[in-house]
Amino acid sequence: MEIRLRVFRFQPEKDQRPRYDVFTIETDPTERILDLLEYVRGDVDGSLAFRRSCAHGVCGSDAMRINGRNLLACKVLVKDLGTSEITVEPLLGLRVIKDLIVDMGPFLEHYKSVMPYFINDDIPADGKEFLQSPEQRARFDDTTKCIMCAACTTSCPSFWSNTEYVGPAAIVNAHRFIFDSRDTGAAKRLEVLNEQFGVWRCRTAFNCTEACPREIKITQAIAEVKQVLTSGKLE
Amino acid sequence: MSTLKTTLTGYTGYRGREGHYAFLLHRITGLGTVLFLVIHIIDIALVYLSPKGFLDVVALYQTTLFGIGEIALVFCVFFHGINGLRIAYFDMFKPANWSIETERNSTRITLIATLILWLPATFFMARNILIHNYGLFGG
Repeated sequence: MEIRLRVFRFQPEKDQRPRYDVFTIETDPTERILDLLEYVRGDVDGSLAFRRSCAHGVCGSDAMRINGRNLLACKVLVKDLGTSEITVEPLLGLRVIKDLIVDMGPFLEHYKSVMPYFINDDIPADGKEFLQSPEQRARFDDTTKCIMCAACTTSCPSFWSNTEYVGPAAIVNAHRFIFDSRDTGAAKRLEVLNEQFGVWRCRTAFNCTEACPREIKITQAIAEVKQVLTSGKLE
Repeated sequence: MSTLKTTLTGYTGYRGREGHYAFLLHRITGLGTVLFLVIHIIDIALVYLSPKGFLDVVALYQTTLFGIGEIALVFCVFFHGINGLRIAYFDMFKPANWSIETERNSTRITLIATLILWLPATFFMARNILIHNYGLFGG
């Protein structure tokens, strides 16, 4: 099948404003969008810039807007889009560095702000390890799946309006530790999330959950953090 | 890209699902309701400030244009209220309802419930406009 691939192009060192380049490509319906971009960069225009690493939906490097929706280019087949007109644009809300590459700095700063690491300075009872039941482990299993692709945060209307909002990805990663029975840093994280640009900026537009390539129930995780903040009980 | 441009690009260009459009409609209906409240406060204040002006405003409200605006206002109030209750219930009592299937279905139900309440109101309000402004139905 023949498709028209419209690609957002912007090279700050020489472009005044962004433009869209159109590439007509003969391809198979089962090719991925990432394959099309690789073809363009390899055979048509070597100046096209985009991120990719594992190309198998694990590393989260190639999140971008494909036909107006945040997706991983390596997980979407041409036939999934149901059209021969495909538009590829960078994630919204983060500064474009070049073409499809955005500055992940602000996103990672928000991630760091929630202390996304295990906090516990106590000595385990047996002197070796902190034990946890399968039920306690299951409590935060869903939010361990985040691959930091930023598809959720950059699909969030609150983040578009104000990039100071900590964003869904940071809340998901805070949730992963807040509900971990072995961790003792929940109060510090909840303090961050209870601030003006914390969890209360969520307007439940649900774009984050729809965009997550790992199918994490992000809005639910955010609501659970809100519940802890209102009830004061960590359950 | 400025924040305003990013926001507007996202609002209008992002191809979200039911939740995205429910969010947008919630904003629009909220603004519509606030606009009405501001106008309403001003017109009621005229009772004290300028009784003659108040009567002029009431006459203005009886025009067809404002009649249509009131029908839109009823939609705004119903949608904003029902959708607000849905969000509050999910967020405060049932976070597990924030699953894709439940969220999509609840959004559709919200719109259907709004229409069920709004359409009869629209019928009576439109009928009143036709009776009093156009002399139809024996008016």
